[in-house]
Amino acid sequence: MTRSMVTDEMRSIVGKVMRETVSHPISLADIRKWVMAVYYPDPPPRQFWDEAFAATLPQGGIVAPEDFNPFAWMTAQPTPLDPPISQTAFSEAELGVDPPAYKAMLLTDIKTRHNGQAMRPGDVIRSTHKITDYFEREGRMGHMLYTTLSHELTNQDGAWIRTTDSVLVRY
Amino acid sequence: MQVSVGDTLPEFVREGTVDHWNRFAAANYEFAAHHWDDAVARDEGFPGAFAMAPLQQSFIYAMLRGWMGDQGRIEAVNIKLRSPFIRGRTLTTSGEVTGIIERDGSRSVEFNITQTDDQDTLVSEATAVVGLF
Repeated sequence: MTRSMVTDEMRSIVGKVMRETVSHPISLADIRKWVMAVYYPDPPPRQFWDEAFAATLPQGGIVAPEDFNPFAWMTAQPTPLDPPISQTAFSEAELGVDPPAYKAMLLTDIKTRHNGQAMRPGDVIRSTHKITDYFEREGRMGHMLYTTLSHELTNQDGAWIRTTDSVLVRY
Repeated sequence: MQVSVGDTLPEFVREGTVDHWNRFAAANYEFAAHHWDDAVARDEGFPGAFAMAPLQQSFIYAMLRGWMGDQGRIEAVNIKLRSPFIRGRTLTTSGEVTGIIERDGSRSVEFNITQTDDQDTLVSEATAVVGLF
Protein backbone atom coordinates (compact mmCIF):
# COMPACT_ATOMS: atom_id res chain seq x y z
CA MET A 1 0.00 0.00 0.00
CA THR A 2 1.32 3.44 -0.92
CA ARG A 3 2.16 5.62 2.02
CA SER A 4 -0.02 8.71 2.43
CA MET A 5 1.54 12.05 1.48
CA VAL A 6 -0.60 13.79 4.12
CA THR A 7 1.10 14.19 7.48
CA ASP A 8 -0.56 14.97 10.83
CA GLU A 9 0.99 18.45 10.62
CA MET A 10 -0.64 18.99 7.22
CA ARG A 11 -4.03 17.85 8.59
CA SER A 12 -3.65 20.29 11.47
CA ILE A 13 -3.72 23.33 9.15
CA VAL A 14 -6.90 22.38 7.25
CA GLY A 15 -9.32 25.28 7.63
CA LYS A 16 -6.73 27.76 8.90
CA VAL A 17 -6.17 31.04 7.06
CA MET A 18 -2.80 30.67 5.35
CA ARG A 19 -2.79 33.94 3.48
CA GLU A 20 -4.64 37.25 3.72
CA THR A 21 -4.50 39.88 1.00
CA VAL A 22 -6.00 43.38 0.81
CA SER A 23 -6.31 45.23 -2.50
CA HIS A 24 -5.81 48.88 -3.19
CA PRO A 25 -9.09 50.62 -4.16
CA ILE A 26 -10.30 49.29 -7.50
CA SER A 27 -10.00 51.85 -10.30
CA LEU A 28 -11.99 52.23 -13.50
CA ALA A 29 -8.73 51.73 -15.39
CA ASP A 30 -8.21 48.35 -13.69
CA ILE A 31 -11.64 47.21 -14.91
CA ARG A 32 -11.13 48.56 -18.43
CA LYS A 33 -7.74 46.87 -18.80
CA TRP A 34 -9.15 43.56 -17.56
CA VAL A 35 -11.99 43.47 -20.08
CA MET A 36 -9.74 44.71 -22.89
CA ALA A 37 -7.46 41.75 -22.17
CA VAL A 38 -10.22 39.14 -21.93
CA TYR A 39 -12.18 40.21 -25.01
CA TYR A 40 -9.18 40.96 -27.27
CA PRO A 41 -9.24 41.40 -30.25
CA ASP A 42 -12.91 42.48 -30.03
CA PRO A 43 -14.00 45.52 -28.05
CA PRO A 44 -15.36 44.61 -24.62
CA PRO A 45 -19.03 45.13 -23.71
CA ARG A 46 -19.86 48.78 -23.28
CA GLN A 47 -21.09 48.31 -19.70
CA PHE A 48 -17.45 47.91 -18.61
CA TRP A 49 -15.99 51.08 -20.12
CA ASP A 50 -18.74 53.67 -20.85
CA GLU A 51 -19.78 55.35 -17.60
CA ALA A 52 -22.81 57.14 -19.09
CA PHE A 53 -24.11 53.90 -20.62
CA ALA A 54 -23.44 51.87 -17.47
CA ALA A 55 -25.37 54.43 -15.41
CA THR A 56 -28.53 53.46 -17.32
CA LEU A 57 -28.20 49.78 -16.33
CA PRO A 58 -29.59 48.14 -13.16
CA GLN A 59 -26.19 48.30 -11.43
CA GLY A 60 -26.18 52.10 -11.87
CA GLY A 61 -22.58 52.43 -13.07
CA ILE A 62 -19.52 50.50 -14.11
CA VAL A 63 -18.89 47.39 -12.03
CA ALA A 64 -16.13 44.82 -12.46
CA PRO A 65 -16.92 41.59 -14.26
CA GLU A 66 -17.46 38.65 -11.91
CA ASP A 67 -14.12 37.08 -12.90
CA PHE A 68 -12.06 40.26 -12.21
CA ASN A 69 -8.84 39.96 -10.17
CA PRO A 70 -8.44 43.06 -7.93
CA PHE A 71 -5.02 41.96 -6.65
CA ALA A 72 -2.86 42.20 -9.80
CA TRP A 73 0.51 44.00 -9.68
CA MET A 74 0.39 45.49 -6.19
CA THR A 75 -1.63 45.04 -3.04
CA ALA A 76 -2.06 47.14 0.09
CA GLN A 77 -1.36 44.02 2.14
CA PRO A 78 1.15 42.54 1.67
CA THR A 79 3.09 45.55 0.40
CA PRO A 80 5.90 45.29 -2.18
CA LEU A 81 8.35 45.36 0.74
CA ASP A 82 6.91 42.19 2.29
CA PRO A 83 8.04 38.71 1.20
CA PRO A 84 6.44 37.97 -2.18
CA ILE A 85 3.57 35.48 -2.39
CA SER A 86 2.17 33.75 -5.43
CA GLN A 87 -1.47 34.29 -6.34
CA THR A 88 -1.65 30.96 -8.10
CA ALA A 89 0.69 28.59 -6.24
CA PHE A 90 0.69 27.80 -2.53
CA SER A 91 2.66 25.86 0.05
CA GLU A 92 1.94 24.50 3.50
CA ALA A 93 5.18 26.27 4.45
CA GLU A 94 3.13 29.49 4.63
CA LEU A 95 1.79 28.06 7.92
CA GLY A 96 5.12 26.64 9.02
CA VAL A 97 4.38 23.07 7.91
CA ASP A 98 6.66 21.05 5.65
CA PRO A 99 4.94 20.33 2.32
CA PRO A 100 5.18 16.83 0.83
CA ALA A 101 7.85 16.06 -1.72
CA TYR A 102 6.49 16.23 -5.28
CA LYS A 103 7.71 16.61 -8.86
CA ALA A 104 4.82 18.59 -10.32
CA MET A 105 1.72 20.56 -9.29
CA LEU A 106 -1.23 21.07 -11.65
CA LEU A 107 -4.58 22.82 -11.35
CA THR A 108 -7.47 20.47 -12.14
CA ASP A 109 -10.68 22.19 -10.99
CA ILE A 110 -11.89 25.76 -10.49
CA LYS A 111 -15.24 26.01 -8.68
CA THR A 112 -16.56 29.52 -8.09
CA ARG A 113 -19.68 30.74 -6.31
CA HIS A 114 -20.91 34.33 -6.43
CA ASN A 115 -23.61 36.08 -4.42
CA GLY A 116 -24.33 39.00 -6.74
CA GLN A 117 -22.28 41.47 -4.72
CA ALA A 118 -20.44 43.42 -7.43
CA MET A 119 -16.94 44.85 -7.14
CA ARG A 120 -17.17 48.57 -7.82
CA PRO A 121 -14.60 51.30 -8.45
CA GLY A 122 -13.30 52.42 -5.07
CA ASP A 123 -13.97 49.08 -3.36
CA VAL A 124 -11.19 47.59 -1.24
CA ILE A 125 -11.24 43.81 -1.49
CA ARG A 126 -9.95 41.43 1.16
CA SER A 127 -9.14 37.82 0.38
CA THR A 128 -8.28 34.78 2.46
CA HIS A 129 -6.80 31.47 1.35
CA LYS A 130 -7.38 28.24 3.27
CA ILE A 131 -6.68 24.59 2.59
CA THR A 132 -10.07 22.95 3.06
CA ASP A 133 -9.44 19.37 1.98
CA TYR A 134 -6.82 16.76 1.14
CA PHE A 135 -7.55 13.56 -0.73
CA GLU A 136 -5.36 11.02 -2.51
CA ARG A 137 -5.75 8.77 -5.55
CA GLU A 138 -3.70 6.51 -7.72
CA GLY A 139 -3.37 7.98 -11.21
CA ARG A 140 -1.41 7.68 -14.42
CA MET A 141 1.48 9.51 -12.79
CA GLY A 142 1.43 7.32 -9.67
CA HIS A 143 0.25 8.34 -6.21
CA MET A 144 -1.37 11.77 -6.42
CA LEU A 145 -2.27 14.22 -3.66
CA TYR A 146 -5.23 16.52 -4.32
CA THR A 147 -5.55 19.69 -2.28
CA THR A 148 -8.55 22.02 -2.26
CA LEU A 149 -7.55 25.63 -1.77
CA SER A 150 -10.44 27.94 -0.90
CA HIS A 151 -10.11 31.61 -1.82
CA GLU A 152 -12.79 33.95 -0.45
CA LEU A 153 -13.30 37.60 -1.39
CA THR A 154 -15.16 40.18 0.69
CA ASN A 155 -15.41 43.95 0.32
CA GLN A 156 -14.68 46.79 2.75
CA ASP A 157 -18.13 46.30 4.35
CA GLY A 158 -17.50 42.62 4.91
CA ALA A 159 -19.96 41.61 2.17
CA TRP A 160 -19.11 38.28 0.59
CA ILE A 161 -18.32 38.57 -3.15
CA ARG A 162 -17.17 35.14 -4.25
CA THR A 163 -15.44 31.95 -3.16
CA THR A 164 -13.24 29.94 -5.48
CA ASP A 165 -12.28 26.38 -4.57
CA SER A 166 -9.27 25.36 -6.65
CA VAL A 167 -8.19 21.73 -6.69
CA LEU A 168 -4.47 21.23 -7.25
CA VAL A 169 -2.81 17.87 -7.72
CA ARG A 170 0.75 17.10 -6.64
CA TYR A 171 2.64 13.96 -7.66
CA MET B 1 -36.14 36.51 -21.11
CA GLN B 2 -37.25 33.43 -23.05
CA VAL B 3 -35.21 30.33 -22.27
CA SER B 4 -35.75 26.60 -22.78
CA VAL B 5 -33.83 23.46 -21.91
CA GLY B 6 -31.70 22.56 -24.92
CA ASP B 7 -31.09 26.16 -25.98
CA THR B 8 -27.51 26.69 -27.12
CA LEU B 9 -25.47 29.78 -26.31
CA PRO B 10 -23.58 31.92 -28.83
CA GLU B 11 -20.08 30.44 -28.94
CA PHE B 12 -17.08 32.42 -27.69
CA VAL B 13 -14.11 31.72 -29.98
CA ARG B 14 -10.54 32.91 -29.54
CA GLU B 15 -7.24 32.20 -31.28
CA GLY B 16 -4.40 31.00 -29.07
CA THR B 17 -1.92 33.80 -29.62
CA VAL B 18 0.78 35.34 -27.45
CA ASP B 19 -0.64 38.71 -28.59
CA HIS B 20 -3.74 37.87 -26.58
CA TRP B 21 -2.09 36.05 -23.70
CA ASN B 22 0.40 38.88 -23.13
CA ARG B 23 -2.51 41.25 -22.62
CA PHE B 24 -4.06 38.94 -20.06
CA ALA B 25 -0.69 38.42 -18.39
CA ALA B 26 -0.48 42.18 -17.92
CA ALA B 27 -4.04 42.46 -16.57
CA ASN B 28 -3.67 39.49 -14.21
CA TYR B 29 0.04 39.87 -13.35
CA GLU B 30 0.72 36.34 -14.52
CA PHE B 31 4.06 35.96 -16.27
CA ALA B 32 5.05 32.28 -16.04
CA ALA B 33 7.31 31.54 -19.01
CA HIS B 34 5.34 28.45 -20.10
CA HIS B 35 2.58 30.83 -21.24
CA TRP B 36 4.76 32.46 -23.90
CA ASP B 37 7.94 30.40 -24.37
CA ASP B 38 7.45 27.14 -26.31
CA ALA B 39 10.83 25.81 -25.17
CA VAL B 40 9.95 26.19 -21.50
CA ALA B 41 6.55 24.59 -22.02
CA ARG B 42 8.09 21.65 -23.92
CA ASP B 43 10.63 21.20 -21.16
CA GLU B 44 7.67 20.79 -18.78
CA GLY B 45 6.13 18.14 -21.05
CA PHE B 46 3.63 20.22 -23.01
CA PRO B 47 3.51 20.45 -26.82
CA GLY B 48 4.00 24.21 -26.71
CA ALA B 49 3.18 27.36 -24.79
CA PHE B 50 -0.31 27.25 -23.32
CA ALA B 51 -2.92 29.70 -22.05
CA MET B 52 -3.54 30.66 -18.46
CA ALA B 53 -6.42 28.80 -16.78
CA PRO B 54 -7.96 32.06 -15.49
CA LEU B 55 -8.19 33.32 -19.09
CA GLN B 56 -10.01 30.15 -20.13
CA GLN B 57 -12.28 30.71 -17.14
CA SER B 58 -12.92 34.28 -18.29
CA PHE B 59 -13.94 33.00 -21.74
CA ILE B 60 -16.72 31.01 -20.04
CA TYR B 61 -17.87 34.11 -18.15
CA ALA B 62 -17.76 36.11 -21.41
CA MET B 63 -19.92 33.53 -23.19
CA LEU B 64 -22.50 33.54 -20.37
CA ARG B 65 -22.48 37.34 -20.30
CA GLY B 66 -22.95 37.46 -24.07
CA TRP B 67 -26.00 35.24 -23.74
CA MET B 68 -27.76 36.96 -20.83
CA GLY B 69 -26.73 40.59 -21.40
CA ASP B 70 -27.99 42.65 -18.44
CA GLN B 71 -30.86 40.22 -17.78
CA GLY B 72 -29.08 38.18 -15.13
CA ARG B 73 -26.03 37.49 -13.01
CA ILE B 74 -23.58 34.60 -12.82
CA GLU B 75 -24.06 32.57 -9.62
CA ALA B 76 -21.67 29.65 -10.08
CA VAL B 77 -19.14 28.26 -12.54
CA ASN B 78 -17.42 24.90 -11.93
CA ILE B 79 -14.65 24.00 -14.36
CA LYS B 80 -12.74 20.75 -14.82
CA LEU B 81 -9.53 21.37 -16.73
CA ARG B 82 -8.77 18.47 -19.09
CA SER B 83 -5.99 19.62 -21.45
CA PRO B 84 -3.99 22.79 -22.00
CA PHE B 85 -5.04 25.35 -24.61
CA ILE B 86 -1.94 25.27 -26.81
CA ARG B 87 -0.58 28.25 -28.73
CA GLY B 88 -1.59 28.27 -32.39
CA ARG B 89 -4.86 26.48 -31.81
CA THR B 90 -8.37 27.95 -31.69
CA LEU B 91 -10.53 27.52 -28.61
CA THR B 92 -14.31 27.40 -28.90
CA THR B 93 -16.39 27.80 -25.75
CA SER B 94 -19.89 26.32 -26.18
CA GLY B 95 -22.83 25.97 -23.85
CA GLU B 96 -26.29 24.47 -23.60
CA VAL B 97 -29.15 25.05 -21.18
CA THR B 98 -29.70 21.90 -19.11
CA GLY B 99 -32.17 23.08 -16.50
CA ILE B 100 -34.42 25.90 -15.37
CA ILE B 101 -35.24 26.23 -11.68
CA GLU B 102 -38.09 28.48 -10.52
CA ARG B 103 -38.17 29.18 -6.80
CA ASP B 104 -39.86 31.94 -4.77
CA GLY B 105 -40.43 34.03 -7.88
CA SER B 106 -36.83 33.84 -9.09
CA ARG B 107 -35.49 31.85 -12.01
CA SER B 108 -32.08 30.20 -12.31
CA VAL B 109 -30.71 28.59 -15.45
CA GLU B 110 -28.21 25.72 -15.47
CA PHE B 111 -25.70 25.04 -18.25
CA ASN B 112 -23.29 22.44 -19.49
CA ILE B 113 -20.25 24.04 -21.09
CA THR B 114 -17.30 22.70 -23.07
CA GLN B 115 -14.12 24.22 -24.36
CA THR B 116 -12.71 22.40 -27.37
CA ASP B 117 -9.81 23.27 -29.64
CA ASP B 118 -9.60 22.98 -33.42
CA GLN B 119 -7.95 19.56 -33.10
CA ASP B 120 -11.04 18.28 -31.26
CA THR B 121 -9.17 18.23 -27.95
CA LEU B 122 -11.45 18.67 -24.96
CA VAL B 123 -9.76 21.48 -23.05
CA SER B 124 -12.30 21.82 -20.26
CA GLU B 125 -15.79 20.86 -19.15
CA ALA B 126 -17.89 23.08 -16.92
CA THR B 127 -21.27 23.62 -15.39
CA ALA B 128 -22.70 27.02 -14.57
CA VAL B 129 -25.73 28.64 -12.97
CA VAL B 130 -27.10 32.04 -13.93
CA GLY B 131 -29.83 33.86 -12.01
CA LEU B 132 -32.23 35.79 -14.24
CA PHE B 133 -33.72 39.13 -13.10
